[in-house]
Amino acid sequence: MRLALTLATLLLMAVSAGAQATPPIRIGFASAMSGPAAITGEGVRWGATLAVEEINAKGGVMGRKLEAFFADNKAQPGEAVSAVRKLVDVDQVDVIIGQTHSGACLGAMPVVKELGVPMVIEACSHPQIRALSGKGGNEWTFRVALDDEIMAYTFARYMARQGVKSSSILAMNNDFGRGAADAYDAAFKKANVKLLSTEFFDPGQPDYRPVLTRLKRANPEAILAVILASDGAPFMRQFRELGLTQRVFSRGSLGSAEFLYQVRDNPKIGDGVIEASYWITGLDPEWDKKWTERYKVPPRIHGSLAAITLKWAVVPALEIALKKHGKADRQTIRAALEEVDVKDSPLGPIKFDANHQAWINMILIEIRDGQLRILEKLPTSPALLN
Amino acid sequence: MLHGLTLGSMYALVAAGLALMLGVARLINFAHGEFFMLGAYVFWFGYSELGLPYPVAALLAPAVMVAFGIAYQRTVIRAILPRSWHVQLIATLATSIVLTNLAIIVLGTQPKEVPTALSSRILDVAGLRVAWQRLLVLAASLAIFWGLHWFVGRTRTGRAMRAMSQNREACAVVGVDVQWTAMVTFAISAALAAIAAALVSPLFNIFPDMGTTLTLKAFAAVVAGGFGYVNGAIAASFLIGLTEALAGSYISYAYKDAIAFVIMIAVLLWRPQGLFGRRIGI
Repeated sequence: MRLALTLATLLLMAVSAGAQATPPIRIGFASAMSGPAAITGEGVRWGATLAVEEINAKGGVMGRKLEAFFADNKAQPGEAVSAVRKLVDVDQVDVIIGQTHSGACLGAMPVVKELGVPMVIEACSHPQIRALSGKGGNEWTFRVALDDEIMAYTFARYMARQGVKSSSILAMNNDFGRGAADAYDAAFKKANVKLLSTEFFDPGQPDYRPVLTRLKRANPEAILAVILASDGAPFMRQFRELGLTQRVFSRGSLGSAEFLYQVRDNPKIGDGVIEASYWITGLDPEWDKKWTERYKVPPRIHGSLAAITLKWAVVPALEIALKKHGKADRQTIRAALEEVDVKDSPLGPIKFDANHQAWINMILIEIRDGQLRILEKLPTSPALLN
Repeated sequence: MLHGLTLGSMYALVAAGLALMLGVARLINFAHGEFFMLGAYVFWFGYSELGLPYPVAALLAPAVMVAFGIAYQRTVIRAILPRSWHVQLIATLATSIVLTNLAIIVLGTQPKEVPTALSSRILDVAGLRVAWQRLLVLAASLAIFWGLHWFVGRTRTGRAMRAMSQNREACAVVGVDVQWTAMVTFAISAALAAIAAALVSPLFNIFPDMGTTLTLKAFAAVVAGGFGYVNGAIAASFLIGLTEALAGSYISYAYKDAIAFVIMIAVLLWRPQGLFGRRIGI
C-alpha cells in the first residue's frame, strides 16, 4: 500500500513537472476592438482565434500549445501603449502581433522597445515604421506588411502606363492616410503624374458629397483613394450618385471581398476600381473556406493578415527558438525572428531585412463585373525605393 | 446646399429631441446619439432582415424607440433626475458607452448598408444630380417639424411640456402630471431620433459608433439655438449642416467639423444666450 502511494505520488509529480515544462506560448494580438475602427479588431480576433485553433489542433508548435490574448488599441497611439502594457504586464505574452493601424503602431513601438517584447506588425503601412525598425533603432519591431513608400512608385508607374496624366489624392485623416499621401505625392512626381489636389477625411464620415464636389472641381483624370472598405462603400455610392467619371485607384481595402460584401446589393458599383495591396481572398482557399464557414462573412483583410503573420512569421520563429535554444522567451523569439526565412507564405517570401521589413509580393487587384481579379502579382525588393 | 440641408435635417431631428429633454427634464442626455444608432439598427432589421416595405420599416424604428425611450426614462432618468448634474452627466455618458459596446457585441462591427429604391434613383436636373432619398429626408423633416410645432403648441400634453420647461414645481402644484409629461417627452425624443435614422440610413452606413459625433453636433446646436429652445435648436442644426457642407466643399473637407464648431463658438461669444436668446424653455 505504502509502495503504491509512493508510486502514485511520484507519477503525479512527474505529470505536474511535465505540465510545467510545457506551458502554452502566449501570443498577444492588439488591434482596434472598439471605436469607429472596431471592424478591424473584430477581424483580427476572428482570424487569430481560427489560426491558433488550427495550430493547436495539429499539436501546437513543437509540442507547445499557443494561447491567444487580445488588447484594444482603439486605433489610437495612446491606447496602443495601454494595449501593449496590458498584454505584457497582465497577460504576460511572449510576442505581440499587431497593431493594424499605423498611428497605433507608431505609438506602440517605443513601449515594446522599453518593455523588451517582440512585436510583429501585420498591417500598418506608414513608411516611418520601416525607418525606425531594426537598424533604425528599434530591434523589437518587425513588419510583414508592405508600406506605401514601397508600393507607391510601382503603383504610380502603373497608373501612368494606363494613361493617367493627373490625379487627386483622397486619404483618411490619420497616420495611414497621411503617410500614404506623402508617399504618393513623391511617387507621382517620379512617374510624371500631375497631382492636382489632396483631400483628407475622417473615417466614419456619413457623407462624402462635399469632398466629391471638391474632387469634381479639381477635375483630375484619376482619384487615388486611401480608404478602407467600411468607408469605401458610402464613398463609391455617392461617387456614382454625383456622376463622377474619374478612374478610381485605391489603397486600403476598397478592392476587397469586405467591400463587395458590403455593397452586395449592387457589387458592380465598384467596377473599374484598381487596388494596390498584398492580400486578397483566394491566396489561401482553405483559409477562406474555414473563415466563411465559421463567421458567415467573407474573410477580412486584417484578420487574415494577423493569421498569416502568426502562421508564417511567428510560428517559424518559435520553431527556431525552441530548436536552437530550447526556449521561447521574448529575447529568444526576437533573435529568432531575424532568422525567419519562409519562401512560400500566401503573401510570398517572409524574411526580415536589416530594417526588419519583409519583402512580400505586391498585388494589383481589379473589380470587374462585381468580382475581384488579380491583374498583377509583383515581387518586391529595396530596389523599388529608388 | 442640398447636401447641407440633408445633414441639417438629420442634426435637427436629433437636436430637437435633445432640446425637448433639456427643456422639460433639465437634463442633457449624452446617450441621445445612441437612440439614433439603435433606431437605425431597428430600421435595418425591419427592412433588410424582415423584408418589410420601406414605409413600414421606417415606422417600426420610431415605434420600437418610443418603447425604449419610455423604458430609459423610467429606469435611468428617474433614478438620476434628483441627483446633481455630475451624476446625470456620468450616467448618460455611461449609457452611451454601454449601448455602443452592446451594439458591437450583439450586432457586430460590420457596417450595415440599407439602400432603398429612392436612395438608388437619381434625379438629374441640368447636371445637378441628387438621390430621391435626400429629397424625402427634406420633405419628411419639414412635415415632422410642423407636426412637432403643432403638438407642443396645441395639444394638452404639449402645453404641459411647455409649462414644465418654465416651472416644473409650479406644474406639479397645479396638477400637471409631471411624470407622464416627462415620459411623453422622452418617447417623442427617441422617436425623432429613430425617424432621422430611418430617413438617412439608406444614404449612409449604419455602425455602432455612428451616434457619438452626432450627439456632440446636436448638443452644439442645442447650445447655439438657445439651450433648450426647440425651434432654436432646429435652426442652429441647419446652420451647422450648411456650414459643414459649404466649408467641406470650399475650404477643407478634413476640417469641416472644426470650422463648424469654430463658427458655433463665435456665435456664442457674440450671443452667449444663443442665437435666439431665450432662457431655458421649449
